[in-house]
Amino acid sequence: MRHRGAFLISAAVLLVVTLFLNLSLGAIVIPTSTILSAFLSFDRQDYAQNVVLYQRLPRALIALYVGALFASSGSVLQGLTRNPLASPATLGISAGAAAFVVGGVMLFDFGLEAQGFAALAGAILGFLASLTMARFAGLSRDPRGLSLILSGALVSMLLIGLANALLLSDPSRRADLLSWISGNINHVYADRLFSVWWLGAVSLGLLFALARPLTLMSLGREQAASAGVNVDLVTRLSLAAVMVGSGSAVAICGPIGFVGLVVPHLVRPFVGQDQRLGLPACALTGAIACLLADMVAREAFQPFVLNTGVLLDLLGGLAFLLIVKRFYLAGGEAAR
Amino acid sequence: MIEARGLSAAYGDTPVLFDVSARFSAGRLTALVGPNGCGKSTFLKAIMNFVPVSGGAVTLDGEPILKIGRRKLARRLAYLPQESQCPDYMTLGELVELAGYSRYSLFGGPTEGDRELFQKALGVVGLEGLAHRQVNRLSGGQRQRAFIAMILAQDAGIVLMDEPVNHLDMTYQYATMSLVKDLTRDHGKTVITVLHDLNLTLAFADDVVMMREGRIVAAGPVRETVTPETVGAVFDLDADIFERDGRLVCLPRMDARCRTLAA
Repeated sequence: MRHRGAFLISAAVLLVVTLFLNLSLGAIVIPTSTILSAFLSFDRQDYAQNVVLYQRLPRALIALYVGALFASSGSVLQGLTRNPLASPATLGISAGAAAFVVGGVMLFDFGLEAQGFAALAGAILGFLASLTMARFAGLSRDPRGLSLILSGALVSMLLIGLANALLLSDPSRRADLLSWISGNINHVYADRLFSVWWLGAVSLGLLFALARPLTLMSLGREQAASAGVNVDLVTRLSLAAVMVGSGSAVAICGPIGFVGLVVPHLVRPFVGQDQRLGLPACALTGAIACLLADMVAREAFQPFVLNTGVLLDLLGGLAFLLIVKRFYLAGGEAAR
Repeated sequence: MIEARGLSAAYGDTPVLFDVSARFSAGRLTALVGPNGCGKSTFLKAIMNFVPVSGGAVTLDGEPILKIGRRKLARRLAYLPQESQCPDYMTLGELVELAGYSRYSLFGGPTEGDRELFQKALGVVGLEGLAHRQVNRLSGGQRQRAFIAMILAQDAGIVLMDEPVNHLDMTYQYATMSLVKDLTRDHGKTVITVLHDLNLTLAFADDVVMMREGRIVAAGPVRETVTPETVGAVFDLDADIFERDGRLVCLPRMDARCRTLAA
């Protein structure tokens, strides 16, 4: 228990360090003293301080927000479905949110708040579509849950295809969302963050409150019910929190896949299965992962700037293969 | 005391339990026995309301079980599924602590009394000192005892177990059943368990409910209920039941019907 607490403290310290690096490194390197000045005694005439407050800080806050939300959501989904491949990206949630935001903007000219609610509706619809398709495909006779993941992949492809078709249908208006649809952490989306951040706060608060019953549900629905968990209520509330949290993250910067899938696997060997530690650990590690990925995407390929979502998708594809090998293929360490 | 009256259940359009009634006395170990698919596990799940119940009712000390909230019910009734699974990295200590969930407040945790109970539960199953070990790294027998410790830590008076000795070798089967027997004898629990092995039933159970095709064929104290006639009626098997050193033994006869099935 002690070393698990130490992991949380280390992750918190690392998050602060990564945040400072994120604010400091870039086309111009900004010293710590200037960063502190930007916060404590902002000088409007100082170019570096303007870069910190109006470019790098919003971008870092977006990375922090989406990293924490996607990673926590992935951890909850993996526990609820008892499926190591479950995440907002693999269960149609991110794609549903993205398709509805694109649809809302292209067809109905939605403003920022309306986009947040469209993302929420899309997240719910994407997940329900994946679940329904998996049930048709025989989910109840598939204890390893592959039908759910395959259905999620299919629904995601369909929804992202639909979103892309809508984007291509109107060249004059697609510029705003063309980069967003592939997951783009960018300071220009700061308004989106400020309009939906409270949804993420509510989502995380609810998930933390449900941490203990969620841990029990990783033992199975019957075992959890036997111990006194109202399984249906906890499932509905936590799924609602996941939809709200991941939907709002997608509404800000588009679908980002790697974090929700992989961070829970990275964190578990250090903090175990207890979601009271696992959820904060996932939130911190997810935030660190997104801040680091954002720095790499921004700086590693200069003069080009890569979309963070594209970089994370590349890493996520590799991680997906490793998880499949570990949990599903014969000879894998945890294959049963 | 727990009582089922006229309980019926179905999986979709397939009925599996027909008008089953049974009364389980406090402080006794009752075995549910019968051939595969006869509805033993469904009976336990119907008591827990884990399967859609199409008729009948279950009462706990006269109170309808459906009117008791999940948390209150967990303090009185515990259930151990057939294939208890534990996720990777969960330790024995965490597993046992989770069992006390029904007693914790929303953000609270175990009290000193709870912690003493957890230690005692681990001691009873012989796993004291292993609280920090991952459950999935324990041996099969230790794992089963870990889940029995969880049941003890839940501290419910009535315990339902679905084949607690499944997949265990003979030594662990007898060790586990001795432990289950101790729950009734030393801890005053009422245990209702599904068992496949009639000899384990004869060795450890006080009462037996014999089922076939979703119905109860015979029920009562083991010595009076398990007879060659009831075994034949439930399992379609000719068997000798005899006493040796004060213990009943059931020995099936290898007649032509057995050989045909074996082939």
